[in-house]
Amino acid sequence: MAGKLSGKYCIVGIGETEYSRGSGRTTRAMGAEAIRNAMNDAGLKPEDVDGMMSYHGGDSTPSTAIQYDLGLRPNFYMDCSGGGSSTEALVGLAVGAIEGGMCDTVAIFRSMNGYSQIRIGGTGVRAASGITGPELFRRPYGLISAVQTFAFTFTRHMMEYGVTSEQLAHIKVAHSNHASNNPKALMKQRVTVEDVMNSRWIIRPCAHLLDCCLETDNATCIIVTSAERAKDLKQKPIFILGVQGRGTKPGGDFHYQHGPISRVAGHYVGPRVFDVAGVKHDDVDVTGCYDAFTYTTLLQFEDYGWCEKGEGKDYVTSGIINLGGKRPNNTSGGHLCEGYTHGMNMVIENVRQLRGTIDDYCPDWKEGKHTYDYSEGKCRQVKDAEISMNMGWGTPAVGSAMIMRR
Amino acid sequence: MPVYEYRGQSINISENDSEYLGYFEAAREHRLVVKKCLDCGLLRGEPGPGCPWCTSLGWEWHEVSGKGTIYSYQIVAHTVVPAFRDWAPFPIVLVELDEQSGQPNPGDGLRLTANLLDGNMEPENEENVAIGRRVEVVYMDGEDGFTLPQFKLSNEPPRDQVWRYQT
Repeated sequence: MAGKLSGKYCIVGIGETEYSRGSGRTTRAMGAEAIRNAMNDAGLKPEDVDGMMSYHGGDSTPSTAIQYDLGLRPNFYMDCSGGGSSTEALVGLAVGAIEGGMCDTVAIFRSMNGYSQIRIGGTGVRAASGITGPELFRRPYGLISAVQTFAFTFTRHMMEYGVTSEQLAHIKVAHSNHASNNPKALMKQRVTVEDVMNSRWIIRPCAHLLDCCLETDNATCIIVTSAERAKDLKQKPIFILGVQGRGTKPGGDFHYQHGPISRVAGHYVGPRVFDVAGVKHDDVDVTGCYDAFTYTTLLQFEDYGWCEKGEGKDYVTSGIINLGGKRPNNTSGGHLCEGYTHGMNMVIENVRQLRGTIDDYCPDWKEGKHTYDYSEGKCRQVKDAEISMNMGWGTPAVGSAMIMRR
Repeated sequence: MPVYEYRGQSINISENDSEYLGYFEAAREHRLVVKKCLDCGLLRGEPGPGCPWCTSLGWEWHEVSGKGTIYSYQIVAHTVVPAFRDWAPFPIVLVELDEQSGQPNPGDGLRLTANLLDGNMEPENEENVAIGRRVEVVYMDGEDGFTLPQFKLSNEPPRDQVWRYQT
C-alpha cells in the first residue's frame, strides 16, 4: 500500500552544468549555475525557492554561500556529508521538510570538481592525507579508492555466482550505447565487450579501467515542491511515489564482519520502496541503477529483486537494460559514460524520461518529439515512459531508492 | 603513540584512540588481538566501543591465534598511492580468523584486511592468492616503532574449496 505522502510532492526543476574534466572554476560557481538552471527550468524566481539542501565529501561549497549568489533566502537549509545514494534520500527529506511546514520549495544540489580537485578515486589530496581512525585498518595496506573498498564484495560474488569479466562488460557496453545519443556525455564513444576486456586492469578480478566510472567536474540540481504548488509552474510535474534510504546492511562501515558479503543494501531498501510507492517491478519502465562500477549495477539488480540472486549476470546480458529493451537502465550513459555526479544525474535523466523531453539528437526533442531510433547519434527517449526507479549506491552496505511517476 | 611513517604515508594513532591504539600496541609485541565482550563473551573483528550483539560497552583485548583463511581478495594492478607503486601488482586479502567463524550467525566472522606477503615480506605472487587458502599472521616492523600485522600463506592444507578467478 502506498505511503500517505505518495504522489503529493514532485520534482519541478532540473539543472546541470557541463560535464567536464577541467571546469576551470569553483564548486561555488558551478553550484550556482546548476541551481539557476533548475530554477529557470521550473520557472521559479529567487523568492520562490526557500529551501536548500546539498551533500558533499568535504569537496563542495555550502548552501549559505550560494544563496548569496542567487539572491535566495532559505527558511530551511541543510548541507550534509554524503556520497552516492544521497540524492534519493535528500528528495525524501525535502518532502518531509515541506510537509512539516519548514519551507515550500527545496533546491537540492551537488557540486564537485571530481576530476580537477578532489578525486573520489583517491589520487592526490586524499592519498596524501594522514591515516587515522578506521582507516588504520585499510590504508596502510594500500586500500583507499572506492573500487578497492568494494572489491572484496565483488570478488566474493564472482566466486559464489560465477560472474565473468565479459558479463560485467555488457553493462559498460549498454551504457556507452546510451551515451552515444547524449550530447552532454563525457564519453560518447560506443565500446564493445572486447574494448572493456582489453582496457588495463585497475583491480583484478573485478574492475578493468572501463568498468570504472568517469571522475568528472560538474554540478547538478533538483527542485522539489508540492503537487499543489507545481500546478503554476512551467514543467509537467514528475511525482515522487516513494523514497527509501539511505538504508544500510548490518555492520554499516564494518559490514565485512557480517555475511553474506555478496549481498548489498538494496536487499533491505528494495521491499520498502516498492511498498511505500505502491508499485511492482513490472510497473517500472526505466531504471537508474548506480554505476560507479559495472559491478555496483549488477549487484543492485539482484538485491532489488529484478532477478534472482546470482542471476544478475543474465539480467545485464539479456538486452533488458538496453534502449529498446524491456527496461532500459541509465539511458544517459550514467556514471560510466555521462559523468560521475554522486547519483544526481541519474535522477535528472529519469525526470526527463518521464517528461518525454530527453535531450538527445532528435531535432525537436524540446517539444517531446522523438524518433525512437536508438542507433548511434540518434534518440534515447524511452517510448511512453510512465514510471521510473532510481537505485543509489553508497557502499555495498549503503543505498537509497526512489520511484517516480509522470 | 606518536606519528609514524609507513611507505610514505603518515600514520597517526592518538593517545585517546580507544579503538585502535591497543591493537597496534599489541602488534608491536607481535600479538594479534581483538576485542572481547565482558558480558556475552563474543569477539568482534572491528574494535569498536560496543558489542554488536548485546550492546555491552564493557570489553577487553583478547589474543587470537593469527591463523585464518582467505575470505576474499583483490589484486591492485593500479594504485593511486605513490608509495605503493613499486609493489604493484600486489594483493590485499580479507582474512577470516579461525576464532568464532560462522558465529554468532551464519556468515559472520572476524575479518581483517591485510596484504598477503611472501617469506621475504614482499607481495605474494598473484597465482598463489586464492579464496580458501590458509594463512597466518606475520609482523612488519618499521624502524620508528610502528608494527603492521600482515599475513602469509601457511603450510596447512585448505579446509574447503579453493578458488581464484582465472584472468
